[in-house]
Amino acid sequence: MESFIDYIENTFQGERDDGTLYHFKRQLLDQMTERANEITHSGLRDEKVLSDLIISEFPDLPGAYRKYRVQAKRERREKLVNKIMIFGTLGLAFLLLVLYLTVSFLTGAWGKTWLLFAVGFLGWAIFLLSVGVHRISRLRRLFHPIARVMLALAVMCGASAIFLLALVLFDLPDAWVLFPAGVVGIYIADAVYAYKTGQKLRIINYLIYILAASPMVYVFVCGLGLLPWDPGWLIIPIAIVVDIVLIIIKVAQNSKYKYRPEVDAAWNEN
Amino acid sequence: MERKLNAELWDKMHYLFRDFNDRMVHVELHYDFEIDVEALKTVLICFFEKAPVLHSSFKDNHISPYWIVKPYRIDDVLTVSHPDDLDEAINSFLMQYIPPDSDLQMKVALFLKDGKSTLCIVENHMCMDGGDFKYFLKAFCKNYNDYVEKGISPIELREGSRSYEAVYSDFSPTEQRMARNLYKNVCAKDDHKFPLTPDSIRDRSFIARRKISAEKFAKIKAAGKKHGATINDMLVAAYFYSLYELAGYPESDSVTISCAIDLRRHIKDVSDEGLTNHTAFMQCNIPERGQDIFQTLQYVVHSVNKFKHDKFMGLYGLPLLKLGYNILPHAASEEIIKIGYSNPLLAMSNIGILEVDKLALNGHEPVDGFMTGAVKYKPYVLLSATTMRNVITLSMCVRGNEEDEKTVERFFDLMEKNIDALTVEI
Repeated sequence: MESFIDYIENTFQGERDDGTLYHFKRQLLDQMTERANEITHSGLRDEKVLSDLIISEFPDLPGAYRKYRVQAKRERREKLVNKIMIFGTLGLAFLLLVLYLTVSFLTGAWGKTWLLFAVGFLGWAIFLLSVGVHRISRLRRLFHPIARVMLALAVMCGASAIFLLALVLFDLPDAWVLFPAGVVGIYIADAVYAYKTGQKLRIINYLIYILAASPMVYVFVCGLGLLPWDPGWLIIPIAIVVDIVLIIIKVAQNSKYKYRPEVDAAWNEN
Repeated sequence: MERKLNAELWDKMHYLFRDFNDRMVHVELHYDFEIDVEALKTVLICFFEKAPVLHSSFKDNHISPYWIVKPYRIDDVLTVSHPDDLDEAINSFLMQYIPPDSDLQMKVALFLKDGKSTLCIVENHMCMDGGDFKYFLKAFCKNYNDYVEKGISPIELREGSRSYEAVYSDFSPTEQRMARNLYKNVCAKDDHKFPLTPDSIRDRSFIARRKISAEKFAKIKAAGKKHGATINDMLVAAYFYSLYELAGYPESDSVTISCAIDLRRHIKDVSDEGLTNHTAFMQCNIPERGQDIFQTLQYVVHSVNKFKHDKFMGLYGLPLLKLGYNILPHAASEEIIKIGYSNPLLAMSNIGILEVDKLALNGHEPVDGFMTGAVKYKPYVLLSATTMRNVITLSMCVRGNEEDEKTVERFFDLMEKNIDALTVEI
């Protein structure tokens, strides 16, 4: 035990202690003592060997301490976000109520001020979903589909908020086109997520999304009057062409990595 | 808190081999002095702590299997005894089977008799292959010596990842992509069997051994040089020729023997790798027996050279196996892999040289010893070969009856005869 304390103290000699270091040292000593008990139980009697063995299991204490600090900082931040999520919902509801009543009484526009509630809560939902996406993305890939669903929901919340603003506040008759645009947004967000998290076989996602998004883009662009409906429909065959081109490029790229061993030819001689 | 270790690809594959063999790797080393039991225990504990998979229990989880590190007592690992019948004690120890779900994956015995020691070790092949087992033994002896002679703590054992992916680590990015795209089922498709009796519940495991003397070893080496063949090629040629004679295959039949290859050839520096498996098989095929054993040898050399010229030698099945284990839960992937996998009926593993200077304890080199692979279940057989002091030990571990034992002995007789034929001109 003394040798562990000496090892820890000598390693961190001169290191500034802001409380985190003490916690780290304490945790380290507990782990080392626990390991020593385990190994002693296995039958090791030589104290020096025991000490050397345990110390060899903790070779890079400064590195471990750096990681511990990062982890501790992250945990503190997560705790803060958790608090914001719990108390923020109640606080936001109260704040929106005050805002709603104040603005409504001041302007008298009761027919539009309810938007404050709708957009406020949709914005809050986007925040909560984003936190969820961020945290789940740190887990194993097995859980990533959950993050992708949450991301899609967040995009849809955003599209709904913009739709409500456009329809109620600005009275835009073509506001409905924001829904197909939202679907396109989901595809784009998911494609970016797949790229950022290095999902395998994401090219398949891209190919499907390009095809599936093309009718939505067609409706959005032509619905807004940016293009006439005819020949706007050409967006769909163009998407098919883009897919084919992508497939050809990918096949050409992959063929560079195809190994044709001499052994194959020789093997087939038999 | 429960400590878990990943079940790596080769752990799962060797677990899948449970239908074909008992997955135990065996070693026997004889010393002409009495090994210090307390020092032996100390080194063993340190090594078990450095390689926790050795005191872990394999959990066959249907979704994803894993190892759970278990507490142990060194007296459960090491058996020390003074047997009256040494051979009987050795055989009975070596023939034990360690279930993968047991708390220990390695058992050690020290038999002391007439001032001499015999060290026997049995370990689960899921933990490490012959290549790393040889390293384990050498590290064990070095650490034992340093501890006993200089008081240095015996903690110098390689630690690190046990992943099969280490075989790709020294390739360039392009080569890595190529190697990772080698989706090929490389299973042996050959129905030629070793002539063993049908299965019976009365069968018991045995290790048959045959020593090829140092004089013959020198002749094999010289004859091999003359014919452009390695010692391994010579042994494989003798193996083929003996099989044709023993089993009576028609001379025109094409036969395949799967030969174990060490995938560490692709890793420049293994010092950061943990103890694990890095073994694959190459299919050594001859189109016919040949007019004489020299022609058989030429066929063997031709077949082996084709593999040697391939820079991705032994890496062909890996991406397919990885895909198989990744896309489905473990229980389902095992069933799928079983459909595509065919275990070789005839196999050979040349474990190589057991270097006496590196296996010396307290200045005493081992006087004899060998290492051998798992006990195969009929009709599968594996011929293992190790060399110590220029003496080759051929061994075959079989679960069979007395008749099978006689068949294996007859096979060894033929091996010796054919090795003599190969070296007759020397």
